[in-house]
Amino acid sequence: MNVEEYISSGILESYAQGELSPTERGDVEKNLRLYPELRKELAIIEEAQEALLMSMAIKPKASVKEALFAKINAFQPEAKIVSITPGPTLGLWRFAAAASVMVALISSFLAYDYHGKWKKSDANLTQLLAQNQQVAQDYNKVNNRLEQIENDLNVANNPDFQRVVMKGTPNAPTALAAVYWNATTKEVYLSVQEMKALSTEKQYQLWAIIDGKPVDAGVFDGDIAGLMKMKNIASGATTFAVTIEPKGGKTSPSLETMQVAGNVIKG
Amino acid sequence: MKIFRYFSVPRTTIAISPISKHIDEDSLVASLKNKDSHSLDYLYDHYSGALLGVVSRIVKKEEMAEEVLQDVFLKVWERMDTYDPTKGRLFTWMLNIARNQAIDKTRSKEFSKEKKTGDIDNFVNRIDNEGFVEQPVESIGLQQLLKTLPEDQRFIIDQHYLKGYTQAEISEEFNLPLGTVKTRMRLAMKLLRKLLVE
Repeated sequence: MNVEEYISSGILESYAQGELSPTERGDVEKNLRLYPELRKELAIIEEAQEALLMSMAIKPKASVKEALFAKINAFQPEAKIVSITPGPTLGLWRFAAAASVMVALISSFLAYDYHGKWKKSDANLTQLLAQNQQVAQDYNKVNNRLEQIENDLNVANNPDFQRVVMKGTPNAPTALAAVYWNATTKEVYLSVQEMKALSTEKQYQLWAIIDGKPVDAGVFDGDIAGLMKMKNIASGATTFAVTIEPKGGKTSPSLETMQVAGNVIKG
Repeated sequence: MKIFRYFSVPRTTIAISPISKHIDEDSLVASLKNKDSHSLDYLYDHYSGALLGVVSRIVKKEEMAEEVLQDVFLKVWERMDTYDPTKGRLFTWMLNIARNQAIDKTRSKEFSKEKKTGDIDNFVNRIDNEGFVEQPVESIGLQQLLKTLPEDQRFIIDQHYLKGYTQAEISEEFNLPLGTVKTRMRLAMKLLRKLLVE
């Protein structure tokens, strides 16, 4: 395209005056994009036309402007003004928003921190409770043992109790046991120094011989600690002996199994 | 005290102050597209006279022309986002809206009724008779300016810009080839731009 010819055809003036058909306008707009010289020329024409029309201006009455802006304000109630000049309210909101974000962050951190601490404390507490229970159990055990020893000591030291030592028979030469017997209250306590362990079907049985007859004084296992309370035995017992019997004992002793025996010393 | 003085300044003063001065077209367009009503205020103060001139020369009835002028600015305000600066200056775009609105008005029923009552030319003639131009060329009067044009070119300018005829209408009305009208228009514009712009 010859730009010079295009310009001198006067089409740009017609374009600036708005006298072209839509098709012609489209052509000119396309050419304006392609040729910078055309844009420059058009700008000059537009400036001249603008200056000319400015010089031929007719000032409208003030009422026209008032009516126009009243219409525009009615259509657009202030919406834009807020965004152009952010007022102090917006600043306050911004501050409030920032503050609440800070509060949220701090609270989250504290919540996380305290949760961790609580977890740790909870674990410690559980451990302490378990320890406490263990200590209490141990205490009870020790206490029971102490009570038993106290009781045993009372028996051993009580002059009303007679100590009857039962020595091993040829069946069990190394065995040794003793009976503490209070003839007044008829209480009998057994103390085992050494007696062999028995199978689970068998138990030892203590007998008292009264008037030549064996009287059952209760069964026991070989591994007793301290003194073991046996059945009461009435006065008049002359001998105490231990036999091996089936579990639970018998009404009359199997004398051939006798392990230990000892006579009551009178006096 | 400084703080109090700062707060006592109304915000509007800050926004209005550049309006009295000239602001460049790019930023004017940008703030108009952003629906800044202050920029519309500036636009109106700056261009309403020129546009009312254009509209009046076509509609030729003061009240009706002012009505059209309002419609023109409403349309400019509403359609600002469709304005494309690569296709021409802002004023040219508004000018075309004004011309089209004015021509539409002349085709309305209301206009043909008014026309019959006569007395059409009085209002536009104020330019010639009473020197009614209140937004004039800086140094030199329009009449003197137009006098410097060769007679045949001045005629075309008169018919187009003062009487509101299109080039095609001039060609038809005065039996001139359209090419001749265009050439004279172009030469006249060339001379005018020299006198007006430079």
